[in-house]
Amino acid sequence: MSRRRRWIVNVFLGCLVAGSLHDIVRDQEHWPFSQYPMFSGIWRETSFSWYRLVGVEPDGGEMILDDSRYIRPFDQSRMHLALVRLAHGDDAERRVNAAVANALERYERQRAIGQHDGPALRAMRLYLFEWRLDPDARNVDTPDRRQLIAEVRPAAGDAP
Amino acid sequence: MTNRWSPIAAWNRFWFEPGPAARLGLARAIFCGAAFFFYLPQDFSEWATAAPIFWMPIWLFSTLHVPVLSAQSLFVMQTVWKVSLAACALGLCTRVSATVAAVLGTYLLGLPHNFGATQHFDTLVVFALCILAVSQAGDARSLDSLIRSARGKDHSSRPITGPEYTWPIRAMWMLTALVFFGAATSKLRHSGIEWVLSDNLRLLLMRAYYHVSDGDPLTSLGLAVARRPALAQLCAGGALAIETSYIVALFSRRARPFIGAAGLLLLVGIRALMGPTFEPYLICALFCVPWHRIEAPLVRLVTRPTPVSVLVDTAPARLDISI
Repeated sequence: MSRRRRWIVNVFLGCLVAGSLHDIVRDQEHWPFSQYPMFSGIWRETSFSWYRLVGVEPDGGEMILDDSRYIRPFDQSRMHLALVRLAHGDDAERRVNAAVANALERYERQRAIGQHDGPALRAMRLYLFEWRLDPDARNVDTPDRRQLIAEVRPAAGDAP
Repeated sequence: MTNRWSPIAAWNRFWFEPGPAARLGLARAIFCGAAFFFYLPQDFSEWATAAPIFWMPIWLFSTLHVPVLSAQSLFVMQTVWKVSLAACALGLCTRVSATVAAVLGTYLLGLPHNFGATQHFDTLVVFALCILAVSQAGDARSLDSLIRSARGKDHSSRPITGPEYTWPIRAMWMLTALVFFGAATSKLRHSGIEWVLSDNLRLLLMRAYYHVSDGDPLTSLGLAVARRPALAQLCAGGALAIETSYIVALFSRRARPFIGAAGLLLLVGIRALMGPTFEPYLICALFCVPWHRIEAPLVRLVTRPTPVSVLVDTAPARLDISI
């Protein structure tokens, strides 16, 4: 191993270790470096709220889209957190509506090419669900409260 | 003359202790092979269809002004990436394939984190790919080495052991330990011992069954644990103890296999009881397994001396000769 090669490897290793320690010590995140803060807070509440997309079928029935295959490439965690950021930013109403419209457009496009077997939708709604935690999670489909945040319909020509 | 116990000597001893090229070569092959099969069905091109309002770039992308590419470009990019992972697993054009896998992998694996939330399940994969790109992982157990032998450019003059083959493995040890250490530090910083002694984990386990993670729990055991507050606290204490003590695995040869196995069990437990998709960490754990120690007895088994029967024409004798 030449001196030059060893120097290069040492600099590389130093960057890896220093970057990791920096984020841990400073409690910061510079992906792929991280302080790994997941689950680090204390959860004391016995109820919680979560943004949930809900499809409206042609007969008016609602279908909760709590399976991530309906909201690909998002998942339930990322979609909720993105909506939280949009809902708390500037021009929240317009941006949240645009986000739901985009989710509906992706749902229908992926349905049309067979990427999921969900029904055709005539609209998509965004609710803020609130649950009281049940020891058996029996109320997962029947939240204690639901607040309608947005509803969008397919753009003209896209309607099922 | 450098003092044996000086920090520089300790640094050099830790990273550059001579090691077998076979260990790194096998780690490369198995890690990249597993990553190839894991990511093969994943389609990153869908991110191009997310509305621009979802674009909330993380520092790496905002600093380098990296945009989200079109669906067609992402499709081509992910195809090249997956081919490079396969080539790296086989050890074909290893330096090039590992570099391509690292650069494209950093982009593709980092891309989702620009859409609302930074998740942490794939950071080690990015580090592992970068380490392979800088290392000489193709010197053994690779098509490159076979091709070199066939061309007569056998590396008889090249060592099959050396400092080049130790630091990549130890870098993965170090980074894995820092992941666990960082997670423990975050818990102790933000919550202290209350993280263990409160109802925190019991409530988190219950909440996990409301479809709030990137994956759902694989079993209903989490609810069973949540029904027993003392058991939930015991699990919390165990998790924090494993995360805190993981760093010891770097320095204690005896503790290493036990702590490593405990870390793997913790990740499997989180996936089974809470949902987060920590499979990439399990793939990265393959990097740290001393595969050469498993390979050696397997090779001996395959090449075991076989009894050869020799029939002697003039006498009713039968000799068993081992060769």
